[in-house]
Amino acid sequence: MMRVSIDAVGVLAPGLPDWTIARAVLAKQRAYLSSLLDTPQPVSLAPAERRRSSPTVRLAISVAEQALRQTPLLPQDMAMVFSSYEASGLITHQLCETLAGSREVSPTQFHNSVHNAPSGYYSIAMHATRAASSVCRGEWSFAAGLLNAVAQVIADEVPVLYVCYDSPLPAPICDVMPVVDATAIALVLTPGNGGASLADWDIAIAPRRGASTWPDWIPPRWHANASARGLAALESLADPGRRFVSLPLSPELDLEVTRC
Amino acid sequence: MTPLAISSYTTSNAAGIGNAATLRALRGGRSGLAPNDLDWAPLPCWIGRVLGHRADDRVEFPATLREFDCRNNRLALLALEQDDFVAAAGDARRRFGPQRVGVFIGTSTSGILSTELAYQHREPQTGRLPAAYRYETTHNLDATTEFVRRLLGLTGPAMTISTACSSSAKVFCLAERFIRLGLIDAAVVGGVDSLCHTTLYGFSSLQLVAPDVCRPFDVARRGLSIGEAAGFALVEKAGPGSAAVQLLGYGETSDAHHMSTPHPQGEGARRAMREALDRARLEPAQVDYVNLHGTATPANDRAEDHAVHEVFGAAIPCSSTKGFTGHALGAAGITEGAIALLCIDHKFVPGCPTTRNVDPEMRCGLVIEGRDGPVDRVMSNSFGFGGSNCALLFGRAA
Repeated sequence: MMRVSIDAVGVLAPGLPDWTIARAVLAKQRAYLSSLLDTPQPVSLAPAERRRSSPTVRLAISVAEQALRQTPLLPQDMAMVFSSYEASGLITHQLCETLAGSREVSPTQFHNSVHNAPSGYYSIAMHATRAASSVCRGEWSFAAGLLNAVAQVIADEVPVLYVCYDSPLPAPICDVMPVVDATAIALVLTPGNGGASLADWDIAIAPRRGASTWPDWIPPRWHANASARGLAALESLADPGRRFVSLPLSPELDLEVTRC
Repeated sequence: MTPLAISSYTTSNAAGIGNAATLRALRGGRSGLAPNDLDWAPLPCWIGRVLGHRADDRVEFPATLREFDCRNNRLALLALEQDDFVAAAGDARRRFGPQRVGVFIGTSTSGILSTELAYQHREPQTGRLPAAYRYETTHNLDATTEFVRRLLGLTGPAMTISTACSSSAKVFCLAERFIRLGLIDAAVVGGVDSLCHTTLYGFSSLQLVAPDVCRPFDVARRGLSIGEAAGFALVEKAGPGSAAVQLLGYGETSDAHHMSTPHPQGEGARRAMREALDRARLEPAQVDYVNLHGTATPANDRAEDHAVHEVFGAAIPCSSTKGFTGHALGAAGITEGAIALLCIDHKFVPGCPTTRNVDPEMRCGLVIEGRDGPVDRVMSNSFGFGGSNCALLFGRAA
């Protein structure tokens, strides 16, 4: 079992524009109301980088900025773990369309296609020079990325910014990868003892106990989003009656998260 | 850090399928690169091809895992079948239990070729992708990790690291942390990247592909030669009687400079190498050989030379083995990690077979002709897009 502190949270999803509103929904103090998500422009990206970046990059950086506003810790002092089911989304589609036609790929399109483009742009924007990882574990990407981030917090005694995000895909690739809404979550995780944290989490790997279910309030259209599992995990921070959340980590394993 | 034992390792790359063939090529100074003969990507360049042009590259895809069949997973399977790697993983499964062995694989593009081909064959009326196309088990970045995990019957924590060309170096760091924390007892780490339109045309668009063979650190270097490769290593806690070769240290940093060009002075690279030395509690002079990232693009080699010279000076032998294998991108880390281990196991330093005239600006201790001699510790560098740097330090058990 590993214990980490949650110092800050960022949330972006349709109807959940920030952590304050998300917390109220998760605490059942207000109903979830769907609305269009207007992803804020990341303020840390220089205009040239912002123009070159993809919607996925802007989503990931924007949700990270939201979390950073709630912690005195500096982004330069954090290691970074980013995770996504299909990070490039729109870029993958555009690239494959180009490659099926003229094959005249643009340099920007190509460097935006790497899975670590969001963490790359983020590190440039924040001048963050510590270790940065980019994780994929299919539909289990949220739990896998969280496990990676938590292990780094404990093993190297370093604060870690963890960001998990999913960006919509266009036709025809959305037939096989049906992400229709953008959802994203950012967590600032620390080794604890800082006193300023929202809560502590005990994290443990456990054998899977039956099929993993989704909370009722999460719209079924988000079930293809790995990061929506992160929104479910936040119930343990917002809902006093719910300390324990189980997140699917693989067909055989769960990641168990318990608020201390 | 406490060293990790490397109980088994294997590499399949353009220079050789399996360790023995790779070793013969490295020792013989034989490049595995050849003019591009891919009829589906007719670009004027050289490539490091593994699949589809030799008698020894055929693999029988297991019937139970047919849904994973694609070029990338065929390459993974070919590599797994070399050097008794499947048996070594099976042994770890029995010794520790399947749930105590992790699987961490690095890739930059996974089986994106499947999606590229599907986009070439969309249904004319609807624009839909062909019915036979599978995304989850071929193109998704996790497809190879899941394939390897199922094939080896391992159920411990698994994940894919995709940080472009440092991907399959960083899996060693992840495994070390997980083992240190007691989350697992051992891990299969590795990397797989196969030739596809995305990287061939993408790197060409950035004018980073050489028209001729890649020539690392050459005054006339004009870019990289893209290769494909797969490799794996079994890592576990070192103990009495464990393997003779070990991971001694590692460093991971970010340039925070530019998406596709390195920091001009190799600042992030320098910090990664320093961190690896610090974790291993070693001085630069205790390293016998540095396997450079050495892609042969003008900017990359210049930046790396600066960083390596700052850390190691001019005395430590260095070479880039990209002239043998090409740049295997997300599989470069494991390919060069395995080469580092071959150097330690077989006591030699490889040269740079395609480099003719070393750039006079370069100051690190470049070795052009391979040579025999004791090698106890090797630094292996991997740097990628997004400014992602990773240095691994391997050595013989003390």
